[in-house]
Amino acid sequence: MRDSLRQVRNTTRTLVRRHNPDYKIMMYTTILVLIGLIIIFAIGPQRANVLNESFGSDLSEMHFVIKQGASVIMAIGSFIFFAFFVRIEQLKRFAKPLLYIGLGASLLLFILGDQMLKVDSVAQCALGACRWFIVPGLGTFQPSELLKFGVLLFLAVFLAKRMKAGLINSRDKTIIPVMVLMAICAVFVIVLQKDLGTGIALFAIATSMLVVSGVDKKIGAVLLALLLVGGLLMIITAPHRIDRVTTFLKGDEASVDDASGYHIAQAKIAIGSGGFEGVGIGNSVQAAGYLPEAINDSVFAILGETFGFVGLVFILAIFYLLLMRILHLVDLLEKPEHQLIVAGVFGWIASHVIINVAAMTGLMPLTGITLPFLSFGGTSMLFIAAALGVVFQISRYTVHGIKREEKYENTRGRRGVGRPRYASRRSTR
Amino acid sequence: MFSIPRHITRSQLLAILLTGAMVLIVFRLFYLQIIQHEYYVALATDEQVKRLEIPANRGMIYAMDGDNPVPLVMNQQVYTLFADPTVVDEPKKVDEAVRSVAGGNLVVEDVLSKITDKSSQYKVLAKNVTLRQAELIKEKKLKGIGFQRVSQRVYPEGEMAAQTLGFVNYEGKGQYGVEQELNDRLTGKDGLLKSVTDVANVPLSIGKDNIREEPVDGDSVVLTIDRNIQAKAQETLLAGLQRSGATHGSVLVMDPNNGDVLALADFPTYNPSDFTTVTDEKVFRNVATTEPYEPGSVLKTFTIAAGLDRNAIEPDSTFYNTDSIQVNDRTITNALKGVTGTVTMQTALDNSLNTGMVTIAQRLGDGKEITRGARDTMYDYFHNRLGLGERTGVQIANEQPGILISPDDVQGNAVRYSNMAFGQGLDVTMMQVAAGFSAIVNGGTYYSPTVVAGHMDGSQLVREQHAKEKKGVISAEASAQAKEMIHQARTGYTSTDLPGYYVGGKTGTSQTLQDGEYISTQTVGTYLGFGGDDSQSKYVIMVQVSGENMNLEGNKHAMPIFTDLSNWLLGYYQLQPRA
Repeated sequence: MRDSLRQVRNTTRTLVRRHNPDYKIMMYTTILVLIGLIIIFAIGPQRANVLNESFGSDLSEMHFVIKQGASVIMAIGSFIFFAFFVRIEQLKRFAKPLLYIGLGASLLLFILGDQMLKVDSVAQCALGACRWFIVPGLGTFQPSELLKFGVLLFLAVFLAKRMKAGLINSRDKTIIPVMVLMAICAVFVIVLQKDLGTGIALFAIATSMLVVSGVDKKIGAVLLALLLVGGLLMIITAPHRIDRVTTFLKGDEASVDDASGYHIAQAKIAIGSGGFEGVGIGNSVQAAGYLPEAINDSVFAILGETFGFVGLVFILAIFYLLLMRILHLVDLLEKPEHQLIVAGVFGWIASHVIINVAAMTGLMPLTGITLPFLSFGGTSMLFIAAALGVVFQISRYTVHGIKREEKYENTRGRRGVGRPRYASRRSTR
Repeated sequence: MFSIPRHITRSQLLAILLTGAMVLIVFRLFYLQIIQHEYYVALATDEQVKRLEIPANRGMIYAMDGDNPVPLVMNQQVYTLFADPTVVDEPKKVDEAVRSVAGGNLVVEDVLSKITDKSSQYKVLAKNVTLRQAELIKEKKLKGIGFQRVSQRVYPEGEMAAQTLGFVNYEGKGQYGVEQELNDRLTGKDGLLKSVTDVANVPLSIGKDNIREEPVDGDSVVLTIDRNIQAKAQETLLAGLQRSGATHGSVLVMDPNNGDVLALADFPTYNPSDFTTVTDEKVFRNVATTEPYEPGSVLKTFTIAAGLDRNAIEPDSTFYNTDSIQVNDRTITNALKGVTGTVTMQTALDNSLNTGMVTIAQRLGDGKEITRGARDTMYDYFHNRLGLGERTGVQIANEQPGILISPDDVQGNAVRYSNMAFGQGLDVTMMQVAAGFSAIVNGGTYYSPTVVAGHMDGSQLVREQHAKEKKGVISAEASAQAKEMIHQARTGYTSTDLPGYYVGGKTGTSQTLQDGEYISTQTVGTYLGFGGDDSQSKYVIMVQVSGENMNLEGNKHAMPIFTDLSNWLLGYYQLQPRA
């Protein structure tokens, strides 16, 4: 069976021609970005007011809208760049350097930050964790986002090589190196930057890729067990994480009067008071200082207050369609590195969405992680746009339903994948 | 190649996980937003909707400048500067900015240590910061610095009329004087705002159930106090006290034709904006209304008026003066001895002969004794007609009634009333005496005294009719006779009045009661008089000077203050002297 399939792949590979990309990816992303701009337009002025009132800053009402607009423009640029101007083959060569830059930047941030040199003008720190570089004139830059992109490309290239060599299940050649890389990332991101959210996203990227790469079920189980033990360690070694877990375990009993429960209780009030239709644009009260991080990590709760159940289900549906679209590409791609990149991007976006939304609705303990395209913040959007740009480019190289042949022998859906019609035409040469 | 169950591909595994998570989330959202919606709406309302008071502005207080109201008490918006040390990121800059701009307003010694101590999120650094200072600090865009607006009373005229005005304490309540007496009227009514607010309680325009009741600002009250007369009264009082060495003094100027209080000066005094620095509570007191005393011989004018009105005496009625007179078991003597023999009532007033006054009291009865009938008549004039021993109702807090013992009382015997005839054995306030005296010199109409002329409507003064008037408390003829006698009594003493005017007055020197006994080492000097042209009196002035263990006399120590002020007032009113 294996041999036969490999034969098919070998034959089809030569048949794949560059065709039109999957515009639906672009469409879903555009919808999300627009919703993000609308919500920031709606609550940005309030947010600016709150900051001005309580922190004595001097932000204009349009501050957040303008910054988010600038972020969107940069993200579009990044998407276009990776979708049209960098060929995958070229990008593969940058996988290693990008990873090293990501790791190096994280290390540099730690060295410059609070615990060591305390260069306040370069490293932005809060509560002993330095997660941002200060870029004069532009704002802040979060190197862990670059690291995600680097890990994505590096693991894709690395695992693809192992897949082609049939070494994907080799303990020494594949599993151990991946574990070492991820452990280094964990130290930088979770331990030094105290950013469990980004850490989970990194592991989600790697896990998605490993799942798709065809790692043996038993190895997968062992890795999963290790991951759980590691995660537990991360939690019990950090007091603020224990706090968040105990708050989570209190469930809906956690009240706003309780300092550790304040954030999640306010998020639930925002979501719950939104009801079926929501309070409408510009009528959010929770954004007026009650809900912390209303414009960043907690924007989902404000969306819930503003647009209600209907709005949230719509937003989740768009995310779901986008993710399923991305995931679907995996089955239609020929080259392992393509499959792996697409799977990694799936893991990246899916982990952000699920972790963020689950935390806001009280289904998971709170971690600081952005909701892609909707949260205010440039770096996250910039790199997710880059990753989607790469996926968009890869979507030009899908083949038609080959890999489903065996399973859906009798129901082979020619148009079921929804590609443009002519994309399925095979070149004979 | 794939070691997974045949019917599920690896990507399908991920799809299943994603779908599962999404379904779980949607169920959870359904629970939160649909099933628990009401619960969360209640929680939201609980924390978002607040009842806020919209403070009403306290009314201003004006004095008169001739016919125009001028502000004596105004409001100023000042700011309390506070810091949230958990947000302050540049403590050195904050320290420097606060010191350079509001150094004089600091309420903490060491700013730097306060703003770096993160144990509290609210540290007051400076108070009474002006808008200008606040703006200068805001311009520096420091983090963690905030301002709270506070309304504060300011006094453009400083110490002027301090005991009449009173002050406003930190709770916004008027203390002493007009501020306390008219507190409700000045305060107005706070408005109410029930509104959705942001986390810092700033109301938002969001929400349907917002309720707004507008505040009603307090009335701006215009006093009858004339700022020029008040200033002159304070000036002459101070000068007079310096001449005599007396430590305490009060001056009351009243318009006898309507009861308007034109000036009320007390010394020692204070600046109401610095009320916190005052250590002796007595400084706050308005002596003329709150400290009854025995005014002594000035009340002989009241006895004369009663005698004249009752036709018990004429100005030239005579009696035989032996410098002493027996009333029951008591012998009453004169302070000035030697004017003996048959003398007129005018002479008795001129020389302040107690025996003359006791004689009048006797003549109000059967001519020999101060009978019950005589006492009833005296009480009728002193109390019912001329208002002694009764609160006048002037709008100054803590006004005291004093003591005037009625003949119904066991103590209201002949001895008591013989003493009352020359101003002893009673406790009255300067306000009562001046109001009663006004009736004696104005033709016989008693006006209850007032310090409130009206209120401001925009920039217009709306006059208020306050004074209750009692016409004919003595006849016009008796009034004219009494006035002339008082004029004579004054001119016998002094020739310092401007010529061509009609000025009169009576001295009083009274011993001080200490623990129920008169002591000889401390006397209070009083002067009571009127001034004007031949047609009418324009003013009544009462002066009181005292000092611990000082013998102060009406003619030596109080009268010069009257004279200075009276001569100035004649000019101020631009009265024409008779040719």
